[in-house]
Amino acid sequence: MKISQTLHFRALYYKIYFQFRCSKYNKLNTQYFPIVVNPPQIIKKRTSEDTLIYSANRILIIRGLSMEIKYVTTTCPYCGTGCSFNLVVKDGKIIDAQPCQRSPVNEGKLCPKGVYGFEFINSPDRLTTPLIKKDGKQVPATWDEALALIAENFGKYKPEEIAVISSARCCNEDNYAMQKFARVVLKTPNVDHCARLCHAPTVAGLNMVFGSGASTNSFMDLANCGLAFIIGSNNFEAHPLAARRIMQAKKKGAKVIVCDPRLTPTAKQADLHIQHYPGTDIQLLNCLMKYIIENDWVDHEFVDNRTNGYEELKACVTQDKYNFENTSKICGVPVEKLQLALQWLHENQHKTAFVHCLGITQHTVGVDNVRSIAFIQTILGNIGKPGCGVNALRGQNNVQGACDMGALPNVYAGYLSVNNPEAVKKVADYWGVTDLPSGKLGLHIPEMLETLEHEPEKLKCLYLLGENPIMSDPNSKGVEKAMGNCEFLVVQDIFETETTKYANVVLPGSCYAEEDGTQTNAERRVQRFRKAQDAPGEAKLDWEIMKMIATKMGYGDKFAWETSEDVFNEMRKITPQYAGITYAKLEGDGIQWPCPTEDHPGTPILHISSFAGMPDGKAKLQAIEHRDPAEVVDAEYPFWLTTGATIWHWPSGSMTRRCAQLDRDCPTAWLEMNKKDAEKLGIADGEKVLLSSRRGEVAVAARVMEDIKEGVFFMPFHFIEARANLVTNTAYDPVSRTPEYKVCAVKVTKQEA
Amino acid sequence: MSAKGDMCYAWTKDAGIKGECGGAVTSLLKYMLENKIVDMVLTVKKGVDLYDPQPAFITDPAELVSTAGSLHCGTLLLPKLIKKYLNGAKDMKVAVTVKGCDAKAMYELAKRNQINMDNVVMIGLNCGGSVTPFMARKMIAEKYGVDPDCVFKEEIDKGQFIIEYTDAEGKHQHKGISIDELEEEGLGRRLNCQRCETKIPRQADIACGNWGVFGEKAGKATFVEICSEKGAMIFDGAVKSGIIETCAPEAKGLEIRGKIENVMVKMGKKNQKKQFEALGEGSEKLAMIMKETSRCIKCYSCIENCPICYCVECSTKKPHLVRPGIIPPDFMFQMIRFAHIADSCINCGQCQELCPMDIPNSLFMHAQQVELEKMFGHTPGVDMELPVLAFAEEADERARLNATGSDMIYENVFGEEK
Repeated sequence: MKISQTLHFRALYYKIYFQFRCSKYNKLNTQYFPIVVNPPQIIKKRTSEDTLIYSANRILIIRGLSMEIKYVTTTCPYCGTGCSFNLVVKDGKIIDAQPCQRSPVNEGKLCPKGVYGFEFINSPDRLTTPLIKKDGKQVPATWDEALALIAENFGKYKPEEIAVISSARCCNEDNYAMQKFARVVLKTPNVDHCARLCHAPTVAGLNMVFGSGASTNSFMDLANCGLAFIIGSNNFEAHPLAARRIMQAKKKGAKVIVCDPRLTPTAKQADLHIQHYPGTDIQLLNCLMKYIIENDWVDHEFVDNRTNGYEELKACVTQDKYNFENTSKICGVPVEKLQLALQWLHENQHKTAFVHCLGITQHTVGVDNVRSIAFIQTILGNIGKPGCGVNALRGQNNVQGACDMGALPNVYAGYLSVNNPEAVKKVADYWGVTDLPSGKLGLHIPEMLETLEHEPEKLKCLYLLGENPIMSDPNSKGVEKAMGNCEFLVVQDIFETETTKYANVVLPGSCYAEEDGTQTNAERRVQRFRKAQDAPGEAKLDWEIMKMIATKMGYGDKFAWETSEDVFNEMRKITPQYAGITYAKLEGDGIQWPCPTEDHPGTPILHISSFAGMPDGKAKLQAIEHRDPAEVVDAEYPFWLTTGATIWHWPSGSMTRRCAQLDRDCPTAWLEMNKKDAEKLGIADGEKVLLSSRRGEVAVAARVMEDIKEGVFFMPFHFIEARANLVTNTAYDPVSRTPEYKVCAVKVTKQEA
Repeated sequence: MSAKGDMCYAWTKDAGIKGECGGAVTSLLKYMLENKIVDMVLTVKKGVDLYDPQPAFITDPAELVSTAGSLHCGTLLLPKLIKKYLNGAKDMKVAVTVKGCDAKAMYELAKRNQINMDNVVMIGLNCGGSVTPFMARKMIAEKYGVDPDCVFKEEIDKGQFIIEYTDAEGKHQHKGISIDELEEEGLGRRLNCQRCETKIPRQADIACGNWGVFGEKAGKATFVEICSEKGAMIFDGAVKSGIIETCAPEAKGLEIRGKIENVMVKMGKKNQKKQFEALGEGSEKLAMIMKETSRCIKCYSCIENCPICYCVECSTKKPHLVRPGIIPPDFMFQMIRFAHIADSCINCGQCQELCPMDIPNSLFMHAQQVELEKMFGHTPGVDMELPVLAFAEEADERARLNATGSDMIYENVFGEEK
């Protein structure tokens, strides 16, 4: 180049360079375009804002818009309804959520958590590096340090001294990886996850009756029923888009019965509200079954051809104690209401859908509650048909999937039993191992916590993923002690929580918006999570972390996955219900399992012609007697306490309390108290009272209202500053080990001024 | 030189563009983006399938090709996205494809200072109405008896919803059913689309569609009507650049186009009458509204998506007006919406389509809007005329009302001059 050209070029360069430097970031103006010589070629971007164009003798910086906005369709990380929405991603960061009208589950509609629940994703509180406890303080550490420490410690303990808690919030791939890690690397049978705390009774109960522990029908069946019998489910708050289906049925003339001690928003929509005492569900259901049998409204064809044990069931429920009078007394419900419910069940035979949730399962008789529901639907013949079924509204977004993946102490993926030698061999061969933990059931979460609290010499090491037991398990003080006793605790989460404080190592995982994966909703529909942005800082995908630890411990070859799809493809070969599902097939509507082959369209309704999971294909009916809850009211603790969730928050609040729009509506806890009880106790609305039980006590503001049954209190459990689980009972169902969150005895005292 | 009101047939000369009917819209967008007349095009593209329209924020002209075509499941509303994600087009220029409701929404947001319309070029699309994805799939499966996944093209033409699909033997088939028949059975277009009278969006800069393309160009050209000076300038530039070619429209075509529009507007008016009458009168109507809204779960979808709503501190979030943390929220929540929106509701239908409890929000709001239009003569969405509830100086207004010495506000404000 001639000297003058060089000088000219440099002058131009600096002119434009300074123009760029002085201007406002991200402001662009189309009239700044200098003359472009042809043909321009883009050779380099100085910043994300500018495009550098080179041509024959000039380098020109052209202000250009390279803003990128895209929508990533994904599924919701909150409840088990499994709605879809679009995450709006601007230049690589999630800034908003928008409707996805295509989804067959929610058709673009969302509840408050769907609309605002993304706000926690880019919270500054996100864990971005591993933390290691040194001299009692948790300090940031490198991955190498953390992995080395973990590998060293995991290797120190015997298999039975270690336990793993997986997460129903994480995708199927993460859960499959976790239970494989526990069984292959740690060689422990002690694997569990929070289904234990909610729908384990559904899994166990329906398995015992039908041979399959999942909901029998789909959400669309709720929209097409003639009667929706809702018991122990406040679906307006807990599963709003499933509640919508019930409202659609109601609009078409269906009747709605809601059984709940509280006049919940769901109960307010009912044609009949049965406000029974907590823990009296079997009494209620047996009573209805008694009259169905005595009036000969039973579907005999169905019972004769498709069930065993009818006579035993009949002998039990036709006892006098299940008559209207006695039931009315025990349940605290007028006889007329029971009679009306019975009449509607009869009138809507073969088009009645039962809907239940944690009001049924979180009891010491949770499994039996679920079985009773299964029985009543079976004798009416309301199984295997559209508009019918036992519809368990699974709580967590992927609790169904976590169960399907075998993150449970009694089964491997696909519900292959750890006690079945054939199943054990199949899994062991597939994984290429010889020492698979089997033949003995592992510890359940309540047992893990009990052992850590009272016999810490037996359980010393815990690897915990996406769970906050101090907030979500009963007897919170006991859990604190358990965590304190744990010799080596590793917690993998996205935020610091009350539980991470006790950890020796905290690992930063990724949230739902930062990973590709699959999750399974309450109607067995497998849908996609799609990655919308990178995890912050050094946080990694959850299964990737397990792979890293496994590799450090010499098991890398067993975790040789590069993508989430690799994990899924490995999983589906050993999981019969998922065998025919591929990522490609999941575009669009998702697929409801079982889907045994790749050309199978999926299964909306189960048990249409046979109960495939039962040895002879027939449902098993049995006698189940009503029993009182573990703790009943008495002179010292004269009130029933029941606990539950609200529409604004998710259980331990770590995600939703970081969403300003959700927190604003529901910033702290309250104690629902009937007006008459408040009058007797001399308590005013808003007054802070001391709620106590045999486990502990908590100060909370009273909310005096008419919507709760006299003699019963309710408290939401999301709030660390007013922890409902300080007073709840650890008594659990002997089969499913699910704690009795829904019933305990309490007393209330006025606080000193 | 074109002028407002000019009409022609236009078709693309760009070999890469395969339009629905001539490709003029895509060509105009491409021309604008390539020549930096706009920085970004906001339009709609197919997501996972033709039942899944998704917004596309395009800065690379090459990506425009994939947005060509029409999607009758496109129920989404675009202008609020400009407010939310593009800073209201205050520091960038955007071209956006608009249905009638989109165009009206743009004006309402502009009036409220949320979008700088000088920086927005609107390419209007004739719209006979849209069908929600769920409804389309349900309709096709149940009423047409066809597997929705086998459908590769859908359209609304001559009063019918028509699908083209591959049958079990792999052959291409056509099937059309009259919209009237579908809607008698509760299927078909969204309810607000059934009530809509804005079929040719003349609020846009250029209005395009296939109505009125008659003769040898039928199916191969786009009918273009210039609706503003900005539109004229851009259209002329596009023609000059050679990306589109034009010819005069056939007289018969003009007649047909006029007829179609009239028929659709009449249908809209008829549906309004039918749907509004079903609401009842007086306290009966109020009771019905209170019953329907008793299902509200305070998801805020109506407010987040309403093009009239823009307040940073929404009154519904003020605890002294609506108690927090209760569902259903106090009826005051709905009252605030009605009071603030009803005069300007453009019947876009988002509040109803996105309501998780299927509350007929749009029906209630539109019913009130037509009454207010009769009372105050204000038509929302057509120009920059400020709404009835435009900001008044509160202190002055209170002083004036006080000075009347009467507490009969209604009489004072609405009554005859004494």
